[in-house]
Amino acid sequence: MKMIWAVIRPESAQRVITALDAVGIGGMTRLHVTGHGKEMGITLGAVHYKEIPKEMLMIVVPDNDVAKTVMIIRKEAQTDLKSAPEGGTIGNGKIFVTYVEDTFAIRTAGKPDGT
Amino acid sequence: MKQIIAIIRDEQIEETKVALETIGVRGVTFLYVNGRGQQKGRVSPREWGGSVNRNLRMQMESPRHCEESPDAGIKMAGSPFQLDTEFALGFLPKRMLFIVASDEEISRIVQAIVNTNQTGRHGDGRIFICPIIGAIRVRTGEQGDKALS
Repeated sequence: MKMIWAVIRPESAQRVITALDAVGIGGMTRLHVTGHGKEMGITLGAVHYKEIPKEMLMIVVPDNDVAKTVMIIRKEAQTDLKSAPEGGTIGNGKIFVTYVEDTFAIRTAGKPDGT
Repeated sequence: MKQIIAIIRDEQIEETKVALETIGVRGVTFLYVNGRGQQKGRVSPREWGGSVNRNLRMQMESPRHCEESPDAGIKMAGSPFQLDTEFALGFLPKRMLFIVASDEEISRIVQAIVNTNQTGRHGDGRIFICPIIGAIRVRTGEQGDKALS
């Protein structure tokens, strides 16, 4: 099992969730977070915003679904900049994958059959 | 050293706090999250009516609630910064717990969380055990297991 933490734009969260639903990855947890990347926030006019609202999704999937899940999140969360369609726009987010050693479903106190 | 990430029902949080204190777990981080499992956030009518959960009741009174179809919430659109989006897409309010503990304490803590939160109905939550490679106490700079004690 692997745990995927995806920090994405709040406005793309619904697209990502719908796309994950379509391939049968229904279980996930979402967190409202704020943060900034290496650009240290955003300056709009005279105002500098250091904490930008983001949506964090936590998804635990079996090892062989990781690539698929990451691909879907990437595809749906990427916003294209017209001048650089391949690069996307800054602030699209990051995806982190970590290990999960053990999983328990509280309802059955045992191993879940899926995620 | 391992990290326990537990997702539990919102209304069970006080009992869980007591249970964890009883077995001697001091350091816990609580997060407000929204989540769903294989049922995609569907809630049985019995639970809707009987729950004392404030957020669930708010969701029930909201015109966007999805009683039958899990997809009913998907037409929810609008600004992502509206409070309403919390209840979109069949996500239910849950609490997430972070506990970092030494390897031998893990099974005891998991047992305590399971015993406190098990109702036998869908939506009881999940517990994930993840490896942690280091811990540092900010106040003193102590590292490893010393930082946990």
